[in-house]
Amino acid sequence: MTCELMERSRAGIINPIFTCQPAGAQFVSIGITDCIGIVHGGQGCVMFVRLVFSQHFKESFELASSSVHEDGAVFGACGRVEQAVDVLLMRYPHVKVVPIISTCSTEVIGDDIEGVVTKLKGGLLKEKYPGREVHLIPIHTPSFVGSMVTGYDVAMRDIVAYFAKKTEPSGKLNVMTGWVNPGDVTAIKHLLTEMDIEATVLFEIEAFDSPLMPSGNHVSHGETTIADLEGTANAVGTIALSPYEGGKAAKYLEKEFDLPTIIGPTPIGIRNTDTFLANLRKLTGKPIPESLVRERGIALDALTDLAHMFFADKKVAIYGNPDLVIGLAEFCIDLEMHPTVLLLGDDNPNYVKDPRIKALQENVDWDMEIVTNADFWELEDRIKNRGLKLDLILGHSKGRFISIDYDIPMLRVGFPTYDRAGMYRHPVVGYAGAIWLAEQMANVLFTDMEHKRVREWSLNMW
Amino acid sequence: MPYHLFKCSECIPERKEHAVIKGPGETLADALPLGYLNTIPGTISERGCAYCGAKHVIGTPMKDVIHLSHGPVGCTYDTLQTKRYISDNDNFQIKYTFATDMKEKHIVFGAEKMLKQNIVEAFKAFPHIKAMTIYQTCASALIGDDINAIAAEVMEEMPGVDIFVCNSPGFGGPSQSGGHHKINIAWINQKVGTFEPEIKSDYVINYVGEYNIQGDQVVMDDYFKRMGIQVLSTFTGNGSYNDLRGMHRAHLNVLECARSAEYICNELRKRYGTPRLDIDGFGFGPLGASLRKVALFFGIEDRAKKIIEEETARWKPELDWYAARLKGKKVCLWPGGSKLWHWAHVIHDEMQVDVVSVYTKFGHQGDMEKGISRCEEGALAIDDPNELEGLEAMDMLEPDIIFTGKRPGEVAKKIRVPYLNAHAYHNGPWKGFEGWVRFARDIYNAVYSPIHELSKLDISKDEIPTDKGFVTRRMLSDANLPEEVRDSTEMRPYSGNFDCLAGYEDREYPYMKTQPAPGAAA
Repeated sequence: MTCELMERSRAGIINPIFTCQPAGAQFVSIGITDCIGIVHGGQGCVMFVRLVFSQHFKESFELASSSVHEDGAVFGACGRVEQAVDVLLMRYPHVKVVPIISTCSTEVIGDDIEGVVTKLKGGLLKEKYPGREVHLIPIHTPSFVGSMVTGYDVAMRDIVAYFAKKTEPSGKLNVMTGWVNPGDVTAIKHLLTEMDIEATVLFEIEAFDSPLMPSGNHVSHGETTIADLEGTANAVGTIALSPYEGGKAAKYLEKEFDLPTIIGPTPIGIRNTDTFLANLRKLTGKPIPESLVRERGIALDALTDLAHMFFADKKVAIYGNPDLVIGLAEFCIDLEMHPTVLLLGDDNPNYVKDPRIKALQENVDWDMEIVTNADFWELEDRIKNRGLKLDLILGHSKGRFISIDYDIPMLRVGFPTYDRAGMYRHPVVGYAGAIWLAEQMANVLFTDMEHKRVREWSLNMW
Repeated sequence: MPYHLFKCSECIPERKEHAVIKGPGETLADALPLGYLNTIPGTISERGCAYCGAKHVIGTPMKDVIHLSHGPVGCTYDTLQTKRYISDNDNFQIKYTFATDMKEKHIVFGAEKMLKQNIVEAFKAFPHIKAMTIYQTCASALIGDDINAIAAEVMEEMPGVDIFVCNSPGFGGPSQSGGHHKINIAWINQKVGTFEPEIKSDYVINYVGEYNIQGDQVVMDDYFKRMGIQVLSTFTGNGSYNDLRGMHRAHLNVLECARSAEYICNELRKRYGTPRLDIDGFGFGPLGASLRKVALFFGIEDRAKKIIEEETARWKPELDWYAARLKGKKVCLWPGGSKLWHWAHVIHDEMQVDVVSVYTKFGHQGDMEKGISRCEEGALAIDDPNELEGLEAMDMLEPDIIFTGKRPGEVAKKIRVPYLNAHAYHNGPWKGFEGWVRFARDIYNAVYSPIHELSKLDISKDEIPTDKGFVTRRMLSDANLPEEVRDSTEMRPYSGNFDCLAGYEDREYPYMKTQPAPGAAA
């Protein structure tokens, strides 16, 4: 009975779990209001990322490309960034924030995007756009380093570091969610409201779930403002809920402005939500109100109906973003399930030091593997060739064929979840998230019992 | 000159020559936008990259192949589950895609060694697959890895396997189209003529530029087989690697998407003398004419005639039912490349819709020539459109529906214009006679969606109709139809199945004897 942490041993990837860094930076970019990022590289680096965002959210998002072609790849493409900034500013007069996001191609050719920014500030912006507020922010996200997760982390740090400005204390708390869904932001803001805490939530992406209005609103966009970002320096403290997605920004603020800072845990499940509330209380001095005691009670009531009857000893594989995967695993364990394989899609060296992973290694009493730098073959090969038996898979849509081909029930969770409707609308965090997750897992298992005719009669009088 | 400069693009005057309005009496000499030029950075163009054009459009539909991208993981992730080209081997090629996972150390020290390790590992994981395609990406191109050399080395060491290399990095050309060209030429240079296929008919074709979107190829393949024609290979939808190595043995190249695959047809003509015949699987008229043309080439027109008659009798009343209800609906035909001319005239002729605009993301001037000549007067033609121009065009034209890609489709949705996926289809296949009816049905279902109707109502300002608990599509579409059309017993809505491909794989096609050419001595 061991919990083993291992890295993928094959050189290559068979079906990737993660995409590369620029995608994470682009996810950050769309969360900021009056912001359109320019991705400096080939056009596919934007086109496909916009596609996966639109697959997941069923919405369109604005991101531009510097459209590097052969000549740029050979002779350098800084001129393409200059032109892109100009064209973008001319045609989108509301745009104030322009992250300039590098890719593998432009990192390999060594384009100096800081140099471009300096040149544009001294030239184009002064001459052609005097008086216009424009922030050009270079972000280095070579695709051959890290993953979409580190890309998010790096971009968020760079943007927060660019804007954060010490003025008057705001009394607000910084809450960094990590790469989550609109439903999660709603759930977190609900907890903050109940605690009577004013907070700057990074990023304000509830509007990604945008309405179809009679007036016609053509794109979805995040609502984090420049003032929000500037004000992060004046907060009473920071809670970063996803150490791998926002941890760097939180640490920056801690170091630079001496803000009290708590990083983690991701409030998935009852226990981690409790900890989140305790941390909120610690940083703000605000009590946990009766309303949340009641809300927690509703969640516990729902979970009690399910845990020992249906979830106990169920073997689960979980893959996706690290904070999500670890949080889900912790919650599953509280629900008496056995997370059996966890797959993290990149080679972040911090995984071995992660206290949550260490706790798993020290305490689980069943066989469990945590595979880092993983691909989907790490999961499929275990099922197909190494006798792994699973009752449930938790993960995003790119792994859907493992569930389909091996007939293993699966709950779509994380990013992207394009093969199920509206998943982005529902939270996995907070007490609301605990209810949603547990009940959806149960319903997926119930449907599978009926589909396979296994103890389906037991649901008659549950 | 009828150039149209969008208001949103006044500040980039070079865009002016990328859009035209086809005025009355104007010829192509007057109304032809520029095409296939470098993209203006920062426009939020809809274009993709040459890696996408090579791997995602043309390479990956090949079904019995390990598709390996040599680069960081993102390019591969992007091409996993973003297409609807299916295959009859349980969709191996859309389920599995491979990346060499290039990291910083490889950028610095080279990645050839790990590329080789990757190749060996991938074949080991899927021992039943004996062929591989390797795609260069921006990163591997820039560090200068010699992929061809590694592939040759592995083929020497592993005699049972065959590897194709496509060097088409993302930055290679203004759009996807650069990649189409590169993979066409690479395939004929490296692979055609290296395999001797089994010839089972006296009439042998390659079906080229067909990607089996939602089963298009299956439908077309069936027509060919019913005519006794052997489809030696399909380039590349549902196509088999070895069959495609044997392309040189066909008697005729039947070309569907000339934008993406005319290059290989032209090379096959040059190198092997195989004639090229351009066909069109969309629309009763063009499809019928296409089947007749192919049959005429082989002197088996009666076989084509039989199919056309059978299929027309079965499906025409259903097409007409939709056409009667779609008459005059305004369409923006905004696909990637060739569909702008495949569809421009025939959706007007056969579904009675009016094409008010055509655009192409990666087409060349030749595509615009064909498209503009086939669409109605007054239509707005746009090359390499961008987000703002698309919005401005929709404001100006007020279309009833848009045929375009996923992302611009979501933009259209928000201004309450329904969209159909022109690349991947909604409920395809759309080729073939039945498929064309399915397309018409998809248009009808979108245009007359009661939900779409509701989205036009502003409950804070407009009068809210309170007399209905529901509205059917027929209540909307038939309201103003003449009685004889509405109550016609000749016409009927689509009567096929949700999965119209069920049963195709069990069909049997008896060997059909050679027919002497008409007039030839017995």
